[in-house]
Amino acid sequence: MQKLTKRMAQLNRALQKAWRYLRQATGDAAYENYVKYCAEKKSSSNPPKRMTRSEFYSDALKRKYSTINRCC
Amino acid sequence: MNKIAKAILWIAISLAGATALSVIAFERKEPLNAVWFIVAAVATYMVAYRFYSKFIAAKVLGLDESRATPAERLEDGKDFVPTNKWVLIGHHFAAIAGPGPLVGPTLAAQFGYMPGTLWLILGAVLGGCVQDFTTLFFSMRRDGKSLGQMAREEVGKRGGMLALLAVLAIMVILLAAIALIVVKALKDSPWGTFTLAMTIPIAILMGIYLRFLRPGRVLEASIIGVALIMFAVVSGQWVNVSPTWSRAFTFSGPALAIAIIIYGFAASALPVWLLLAPRDYLSAFIKVGAIVALAGGILFVRPTLQMPALTRFIDGSGPVFAGKIFPFCFITIACGAVSGFHALIASGTTPKMIMHESHARMVGYGAMLMESFVGVMAMIAACVLSPGVYFAINAPAGIVGKTPEAAAATIRSWGFPLDPHAIVTLAQRVGERTLLDRTGGAPSLAVGMAQIFSGTIGGDRLLSIWYHFAIMFEALFILTVLDAGTRVGRFMVQELGGRVWKPLGQRGWIPGILISSGLICGAWGYFLWQGVQDPLGGINSVWPLFGIANQLLAAVALVVGTTILLKMGKLKWIWVTLAPMAMLVAVTMTASYQKIFDANPRIGFLSQARVIAAQIASGAIPPDRVAAAQHLIFNNRLDAAVTGVLAAMVFALLVEALTVWSGILFQGKQTTLHETPYVATRWAAGD
Repeated sequence: MQKLTKRMAQLNRALQKAWRYLRQATGDAAYENYVKYCAEKKSSSNPPKRMTRSEFYSDALKRKYSTINRCC
Repeated sequence: MNKIAKAILWIAISLAGATALSVIAFERKEPLNAVWFIVAAVATYMVAYRFYSKFIAAKVLGLDESRATPAERLEDGKDFVPTNKWVLIGHHFAAIAGPGPLVGPTLAAQFGYMPGTLWLILGAVLGGCVQDFTTLFFSMRRDGKSLGQMAREEVGKRGGMLALLAVLAIMVILLAAIALIVVKALKDSPWGTFTLAMTIPIAILMGIYLRFLRPGRVLEASIIGVALIMFAVVSGQWVNVSPTWSRAFTFSGPALAIAIIIYGFAASALPVWLLLAPRDYLSAFIKVGAIVALAGGILFVRPTLQMPALTRFIDGSGPVFAGKIFPFCFITIACGAVSGFHALIASGTTPKMIMHESHARMVGYGAMLMESFVGVMAMIAACVLSPGVYFAINAPAGIVGKTPEAAAATIRSWGFPLDPHAIVTLAQRVGERTLLDRTGGAPSLAVGMAQIFSGTIGGDRLLSIWYHFAIMFEALFILTVLDAGTRVGRFMVQELGGRVWKPLGQRGWIPGILISSGLICGAWGYFLWQGVQDPLGGINSVWPLFGIANQLLAAVALVVGTTILLKMGKLKWIWVTLAPMAMLVAVTMTASYQKIFDANPRIGFLSQARVIAAQIASGAIPPDRVAAAQHLIFNNRLDAAVTGVLAAMVFALLVEALTVWSGILFQGKQTTLHETPYVATRWAAGD
């Protein structure tokens, strides 16, 4: 039983890791990363003005699709 | 693991790779199992990555773990974002993997499996991966500068301008070539056309969801989108059997071409959140999913390849495209082995996201290995088909005839058995009216993939669903490249046009958007139209043109790379970029020369123009076809001119680079390397 619980915990950790990876790789977590970055820079001399989730999404798309980002 | 065990392991991997490569190269008696291809590819990649890329990283480029990357120095939470290397390789791979490595190997299968497979594997480890890795590294050392900017700074002013023009020209031809593949795959196919058409409202729905309902929740929206697309693939069969609906979704080649041109214009001019971005998410998901599924399917089914190692068409008389192995196998495969376009990605967003210099090796070299593997899988999927079926699908009607009987007779005369009923039955089994005259690679690849998938899940019952899933997968991400490419092409036109007439340079000015979108769509639309009208199938002229353009761009990247290595004082290791550069210059210049001047009218544009002109003069062409024939003459001359101009541009860059090189080598000229100065990292290694 103990072994099974341990296995389940391991599986749970692996799934969480995979989910986190998927969120990072697809850009799903981009806004959270940005918020974290802004929080880190809050105390700096020139803190960035934090965008809302919606503003950040629009801004990210504008930057992403104004340069070559897909290949043949 | 101790040293001896490690050494034994690497010797075993090297031997496995060498054996599998030799079997592919020399075995002629027995049909080969796909496992040989997988072993040859994977073992070669492992050895190349472990030893060659490590050597390049340490000796040639000198990756410096103590040096801060642009992502650290310039971190802004937006463009410059330090990113975990496993996440970044995912991003980079999704960006570089397009339809090229699927289509190129499928077309090159007409020579047999051997030449294409060897070039895919060896070309990648010695050429393509090196180009991607070095370009990524050089751009990373220059705060993520583009290939054009690096060419301007390191080679010369003209170099930068030439690179920009070359990129624009290549983009136009690329977009035409891939649009032509979609047209060939979807003409007279209500099921396929319906599925692809449905991706537009699905993408718009996702766009609205991502923008207004749940901003930026990419995963949620993509899961909904993928589910809807799967439903669209399945429901296509009902459209196919309904007389009314199937009529509504049956289009001829020219009608589809016009629809795609209008679509490209809309996608380029509309706000990016509405159509382009959601499609891109969708396509990236399905792309990675289908590639993983294909790898799993091949390993599960372990199919035997039906195509011989070499076919009679190595003499240059191939029906899919004309020309001998050298240079046309290399030109046709392009993306799976060496892709110049990757240099644009490797000098775009990726270098701004690297955390440590050492990660450039895995991201640059490693992602290209994955792309090469996609190419090898496409080769397997194409060669799983019997050669008769492969040629029936890929040879244009102008060569094999329009009916199954005529096609089977011609293909049998080439020595490949084919029963006309078999090709009719196969078309019915995959839910198509016909599979004949579908030059372009996508349908034959889809039949191969469907056979592999249905061998894994569903058997013959699901063959038609799998076929249309494969067609949707190819068409979906071709259209995504088309959207994104047209948009970037529009920006380039605006940038160039802005130098002549200022208002055009403003990105938000609506008349400017419409004019530049119209110009870029008109340009690729023209080549697409020309391909659709071509009696030889279009692919014969458009795909080599694309391949030449793409490989020329790779040559540009390697010329820039070699120049930088020389400036870095790495003369001893210059062959690392110089050798693939020399190979590409030889391939592209020979191919350009042959495409322009060869006496065989199926190869040389000018001789084809002459043959048609002679037919008009002798009255062999009926009066009502004369205007169309004259148009063909013009198109051939235009293709010759485009090829000539592209080759001349690269030649000019090469001359400029040679001047710089001789200055350094023989006149002891002092040159400046435009690297960003060294700043020590504040981060611990290996994060």
